[in-house]
Amino acid sequence: MLAPRPSSQWRTWLAGYALIAPPLALLALLIFFPAGQAIVRTVMLDQDAGITSGLTLDRYLNFFNDPIARSNLSFTITVTLITVFFQFAVCFPLALYLRFSTSRIAGAVQVLALFPLFVPGVILAFALIRYLGPRGTVDTFLRVVLNYEGFVTPYLRPSGIVFALTRDHIPFTILVLTAGLRQVEDSVIEAARDVGATSLRAFVQIIMPLMQRPLLIVFCLNIIGTFGAFTIPYLLGPAAPQMMGVYMQQTFSEYLDRSGAETQAVISFVLCALVGALYVRTVTRRRGERA
Amino acid sequence: MKVLPTIAPPPSGKTNINIYLDADTNITDWYSNILIPAFEKEFTVYKVNLINVKGVGNGTGTFVDRLVAAKQTGADGQAEIVEFDVRGRPETVKDGLWLKLDASNVPNAKGVLPAAVVSEYNMPYRGSQVLLAYDSAKIKESDVPRTFPALLEWVKKNPGQFTYGRPDKGGSGGNFVIRAIHEVTGKDPQKFYASVDPDPALVKDLDKAWELLRSIHESTYDKGSYPAGNQPALLLLANGSVNMVSAWSDQVLINIDKGVLPPTIKMAQFTDLPMSGGYAQYAVPAGTKNKEGALAWVNWMLKQDRQVDVIKSLGGFPALKWDQFPKELQTQFNSVVADTIPTWPGGKWDAERNKGWYEKVATNIKQ
Repeated sequence: MLAPRPSSQWRTWLAGYALIAPPLALLALLIFFPAGQAIVRTVMLDQDAGITSGLTLDRYLNFFNDPIARSNLSFTITVTLITVFFQFAVCFPLALYLRFSTSRIAGAVQVLALFPLFVPGVILAFALIRYLGPRGTVDTFLRVVLNYEGFVTPYLRPSGIVFALTRDHIPFTILVLTAGLRQVEDSVIEAARDVGATSLRAFVQIIMPLMQRPLLIVFCLNIIGTFGAFTIPYLLGPAAPQMMGVYMQQTFSEYLDRSGAETQAVISFVLCALVGALYVRTVTRRRGERA
Repeated sequence: MKVLPTIAPPPSGKTNINIYLDADTNITDWYSNILIPAFEKEFTVYKVNLINVKGVGNGTGTFVDRLVAAKQTGADGQAEIVEFDVRGRPETVKDGLWLKLDASNVPNAKGVLPAAVVSEYNMPYRGSQVLLAYDSAKIKESDVPRTFPALLEWVKKNPGQFTYGRPDKGGSGGNFVIRAIHEVTGKDPQKFYASVDPDPALVKDLDKAWELLRSIHESTYDKGSYPAGNQPALLLLANGSVNMVSAWSDQVLINIDKGVLPPTIKMAQFTDLPMSGGYAQYAVPAGTKNKEGALAWVNWMLKQDRQVDVIKSLGGFPALKWDQFPKELQTQFNSVVADTIPTWPGGKWDAERNKGWYEKVATNIKQ
């Protein structure tokens, strides 16, 4: 057999890099460069004040000394954690059902679960206002049919954000989890059953360890998506406290405070980057093992 | 930098009237489907071009920059009419960019409501204001508050029945908050026009407005759940969650017309000092090529039937004095007609208003 000539190898190598160059350049120019600029600007002394250079942490101190900013940040973190918890609580059992059921109903359930993928967030927000809002469908049903007057609407409350974001992320979570579960082969579980493992034991000792990576991936992506949510908290959330996405937009375009908004953005970015690092580690470790 | 449109030459035998607006679709629809065809039918020598600059740059202000540049170089600005409040750019008035508009060149100007006139270089042609919209099936007319302090009292006595939108999410909430600011600063809206940058002493006075609004915070809908926009506030009124909101007059009329709001919804304005609003103002560049066409359009817009149309198809307020209208229209609207409509400078003052409100009224942090 002939070994590939060095020039053709060189060409393959070059072609590979040429193919990934445009997306890499886009990433560098449109994401990393402006993000880096923003980070640098937030620690530079105010140039408008006549000072040309020097570093400062004033903007961050201002942020953490402002009770409203602090409460918005902790509100965002709390809402994110609660929302991600509910996303798992709803989606994991559903994904297990979809993986192991062979009935025709399961197919219908899958279609229903994935359907929200095609509904834009803003439509979802307005639909929920009509459905769960004051005098909405649920409220009216409870009043008229069950004669129950005590319904508390989640509209304009933190629970509205949690509910809508949970619902918004169902299709994506189900997609990743069912894909992960399909990699758990029937034969593995049958083998465990043959040696007398109960369903619970098969779940804890076979499925869970195999599902670790898909679970981590969903966890990371849902945290990042929920943390940075804008439309739903904007339309369904309370006036105070606010989630960071809404707060940033407001600081930027309503308070006309560009550097304040930039500082908030960097703080949000750093928090999400921590989760992002976990995601990258999870994904690359998987690749390493395959190789 | 956005690129401003170039105007096509008019069909032979006609001259262009180029109108620049910064308006929502209900207004541009009204122009394209009703006004322009009717005008071109009546004045066959003119071809009207509508250029809407909604949502780009500085609105018609960007276009005024082009007019300034055109004047300096002696070029044709290609504009007959601009919807623009010249007070926003006082230097353009000083430089003689605009044509003076009065009854001598616009005969119908003699019927215009004096309160709507803001400058001799502008001509108002339609208005809207923020007012109280309430459900007359639930609130007796005699109980409807007619002053700002009376409203605060009413809200405290009827907890959960009133709401207003967040001030940065729409003018209905924004102008309600401005009314509270006017209340504590001597009811003198002109104060805020004294300088371009907010005067720190006046900014400090806003704290009193935050106290006023904070005093009804717990008594508004769902203990301070302020809806995020003009229409969300109206929807709470529509579904009976609240019985009174602050709202734009034209949006209330359109919502009643479309059946979103029940016909029992009525409007009321404060009699001591109305809530802010404004009139859309035409300005005509002094150097325009088609001055006759421009003046013909402005005069035509101030005809009585056009102005009735402002009320009926737009839900706006006419710019003509109310005695120029049929009796039944007058009585239908007499509870909301204000002689003066206060205005607000916006810009950096908006930032002060929004920040102050979020930090001191809507906040969850104990002060």
